Amino acid sequence: MDDDDMEMDDYNDDFKLNTGPKRKSYEVDYSSLSQTSVEKSMREDVDHICGILGVESPVAALLLRHQAWNKERLIEKYMETPTTVLVESGATVPEPVAAPTPVRSHSVDKSTASPSSSRRATRSSSKLLSSLTSPTRLSFQKSNSISPSGTASPSKSRKDTKSEEPESFVCPICFDDSPDLKQLALDCGHVACSGCWNAYTTSKIRDEAEHSIRCMTEGCALVASDDFVRNILSDAAPAGTDVHENAVAWSRFQELLVRNFVAANQKLKFCPYPGCTNTVSCPSAAGKSVITSIVPTVSCGARGIPGSSSDKAGSSSSGVLQAREHVFCFGCTIESDHRPVVCAVAKLWLQKCEDDSETANWIKSNTKECSQCQSTIEKNGGCNHMTCKKCKYEFCWVCMGPWSEHGTAWYSCNRYDEKGSIDARDAQSRSRASLERYLHYYNRWANHEQSAKLSVELYAKTEKKMEDMQITSELTWIEVQFMKKAVEEVEKCRMTLKWTYAMAYYLARGNEKDLFEDNQRDLEKAVEDLSELLESPIETENIPTLRQKVTDKTVYVQKRNEIVLEDTATGFQDGRWRWNITVDGFEDPLEDSKVD
Amino acid sequence: MDARLRRVNKEIADCKNDKTSNISLELVDNSPFHLKGSFPGPEDTPYQGGHFEVDIIIPDSYPFQPVKMKFITKVYHPNVSSASGAICLDILKDAWSPVLTLKSTLISLQSLLCSPEPNDPQDAEVAKHYTTSKGSFDETARYWTQIYAGGPGPKDVKESRVSGAARDDVAIAGLEKAHVDQFEGIGFPRNKVIDVLRRLNYRGANVAQISEDRIVEELLKP
Repeated sequence: MDDDDMEMDDYNDDFKLNTGPKRKSYEVDYSSLSQTSVEKSMREDVDHICGILGVESPVAALLLRHQAWNKERLIEKYMETPTTVLVESGATVPEPVAAPTPVRSHSVDKSTASPSSSRRATRSSSKLLSSLTSPTRLSFQKSNSISPSGTASPSKSRKDTKSEEPESFVCPICFDDSPDLKQLALDCGHVACSGCWNAYTTSKIRDEAEHSIRCMTEGCALVASDDFVRNILSDAAPAGTDVHENAVAWSRFQELLVRNFVAANQKLKFCPYPGCTNTVSCPSAAGKSVITSIVPTVSCGARGIPGSSSDKAGSSSSGVLQAREHVFCFGCTIESDHRPVVCAVAKLWLQKCEDDSETANWIKSNTKECSQCQSTIEKNGGCNHMTCKKCKYEFCWVCMGPWSEHGTAWYSCNRYDEKGSIDARDAQSRSRASLERYLHYYNRWANHEQSAKLSVELYAKTEKKMEDMQITSELTWIEVQFMKKAVEEVEKCRMTLKWTYAMAYYLARGNEKDLFEDNQRDLEKAVEDLSELLESPIETENIPTLRQKVTDKTVYVQKRNEIVLEDTATGFQDGRWRWNITVDGFEDPLEDSKVD
Repeated sequence: MDARLRRVNKEIADCKNDKTSNISLELVDNSPFHLKGSFPGPEDTPYQGGHFEVDIIIPDSYPFQPVKMKFITKVYHPNVSSASGAICLDILKDAWSPVLTLKSTLISLQSLLCSPEPNDPQDAEVAKHYTTSKGSFDETARYWTQIYAGGPGPKDVKESRVSGAARDDVAIAGLEKAHVDQFEGIGFPRNKVIDVLRRLNYRGANVAQISEDRIVEELLKP
C-alpha cells in the first residue's frame, strides 16, 4: 500500500524491494475521503438536483435524504408527483392544510386563523430561512412565523409586524411568556421559543443521533432545513445556552449528514475507528457479489485513536502500535484484515470457533467414544471396567478393547497389541478424526492470534534491544531500524497465517489445497525463523551478522507473504478455490470433497 | 426558573382547572417529576366504570423526550402488559412530540382503551384472546375492571356473583371453570392448569382444536 511504500523509502539502503506503483492482485483500488470532501460530493449531488428540479438547495438536500440519495428515483418520482414527494420528504406542508393542532397559546391561535392558502410552498420560505443566518433578521423571522400575512410573500413579511403580535406570546412547549422571547417556526407556522427549539434540536442530535429534525408539533411532518438547524445552534441560540455545546451539536449534525450520505452509497464506507470521520471510497468492492472474489482491505489513512495517549509521530515503537493505521475490511465488519480468506468464509470460521472450540477441546480431553455405538463417554470415577449405558457394551477404558478379552487381569490393563484393542482404538481414532481436524486448524489459528496479541510486548522488548544496540555498537538510530521493521513484518505475516488456517479448514481436498498448504508452510517456517532471530540474545560481536540475517529474513518473509496473498487472490479471481461446505456466493461443493 | 419545572407545574395546574376531562394528576414523593395520573375507563367499553391509575416519570430532557408511563392498575388489554403495566403506544416512543402534554397523553391512553391494536400487541396472550374470541375477552376485561379498577362488575349477575367479589383466578384468565376443573381433577395443580390453558389460548373455538393430550403434555413439562 502507498503508506508502506513511503515508509520503505526511509530504509532504502536496507530494503531493496520492487514495490512499484502497480497494484498487487490482493489489493484493491480505493481512496480515502475526508469529511469535507464527502460534504463536497454531497453538495454536488444537491446542486445537480437543484438544477434539474429547479428547487432551492435546502429543499434538494431534504429530498435527496428522503430518497436515500437515489437521484434517478427522486427525479422520476418528482416528475410524476412533485407535491407528494415534497410533502413526504418534509420539505413542504401538505396542500389542504388542516389548521395546526389547536394549542393553548393565543399567538398560535392567531396564526391558525391565517388563511390556509397563505401557506407557502418551499422555495420562497426556505429563502427566508436561509437569509436568517444573520442575527438581525430575527424579528423578520418572528413575523414570518406568526403574523397572519407573514408567510404570504417574503417582501410582504419583511415589514415590521410587531404591532400585529398578540400582547404576550406564550411558548406552547415551555409555557414561558417573558416578552423578550425569540419566536421561531418552520414553514408550517408552529411557533415555539428559540430556547425550546435549541433544546429540542440538541436532544435530537445528541441523544437520538437523528439528522432529520422534524417540527415539534404532533403530526407535523415538516423537517428543518440545514440552515434552520445551523441558525438555531448558533445565531438564534438563546443567551443561556452553552456555546461550546451548540458547536458540538452542529458538528455532530454535519457528521450525521455525512454518515447518512455514506450509508446510502454502496461505494462508500465510514471509517469504523472511534472518533474518525473519514470515509473510504472503494467502487470495485461495492455490492455483495464482488466480495466473493476479492478481499477489500482498505484504510482511511489516518492513524491512532484521538484521546488515547498515542504518539502521532510513531517514532517510538509503542507509538507505532498505538498509532496504528485505520485498516478495515470494506466488505464486512468481522476483522480489520482477514486476508487472504474472503469475508463469507472468515465469518463461517469465526462462527464455528465461537460455537465449537471450547466444547470440542473439552470433549477431546475428557471423553472417549464407546467402540460399539460411538456414544461419547466421560469417565468420572471408578475402575476401568466400563459398561456403556446405551448399548451395554463392556470395555476397558485404558486399551478400549472388549472387557471379555481381559481374562483374569481384572482391574489392570497391561495389554496393548491384542487384536481386539487395536481394532477398538482404530474405530476410536476414526470417529475422532473430524474433531481432531478442526482442532488442528483451530489451535494454529488461535496460536497466531495469541502471538499477534503479544506483539505489544515484543515491540517493547525490541525497542529496548534497539537502544542497547545503539549503545554497544557503532550503529546509528537509522541503522537499527531493521529490528522494528522485522517485528512489523512478523506481525503482519502472523495475521495472514492466522487466516490461512481458517481458509485451509474449509478448502476442498485436492491439488489446489496442497499447493495452498505448501505456500502456507513456507511462510510459517520463514516467520518462525525470523521470530526466533528476534528473540535471540544480542551479543556485541554478533550484531553485524545478526543485522544481515534479520534483514535477509525480513525480505524473505515479505516475499513469502506476498506469494501467499497473491496466489490466493488470483485464485479467487479465477474461481479456482473449491470449498468443502456451502459458502454464500460460491458453487456448492462436490460430493466427494465434503467433510463431516 | 427551570423550563422543565415551569412546564410541569403549568401542566399540573391546567389539569386541576380542567373539570371536563376528568383527568387528575397528583405528586408522588412530593416531586413534580414523579406523578400519578388517573382517568375513568371510557364508556361503552369493558373498562367502563373503572378508575385507572398511571405511573408517570418525567425524564430530564422532557418535553423533548417522551414521558415514561405505565399502568399501576392492572388492565386486561392487548397493548398493555398484564404483568407489568407497560404500555405499547406510539406517542410514548418515536411519535412523541414536545407539544403533547401529560393531559393529552393520558387522554390518548384513555382512547387506547377504546380502540385496542391487537396487531401491535404488548401482551401477546391477551391479544390472542382478543382476536380469537372478542366476547370472552370483553368478559375478562370487564372482570379485571371490576376487581382491579373498582368497576361495577358483569351485567349478568347469575353465577359469578355467588362468590361475591372474591378473586376468581379462572375468570381473571378468561377461561371456563369446567375446563380448569377437568384438568385439576386429573391431579394437576390449579394454578398450573390455568397457566397452561391461558398460554394455549384454550378459549372459544380453540377448545375443539386443541387436543387434551396436548394440554396434558404441556402440563407435564417441568
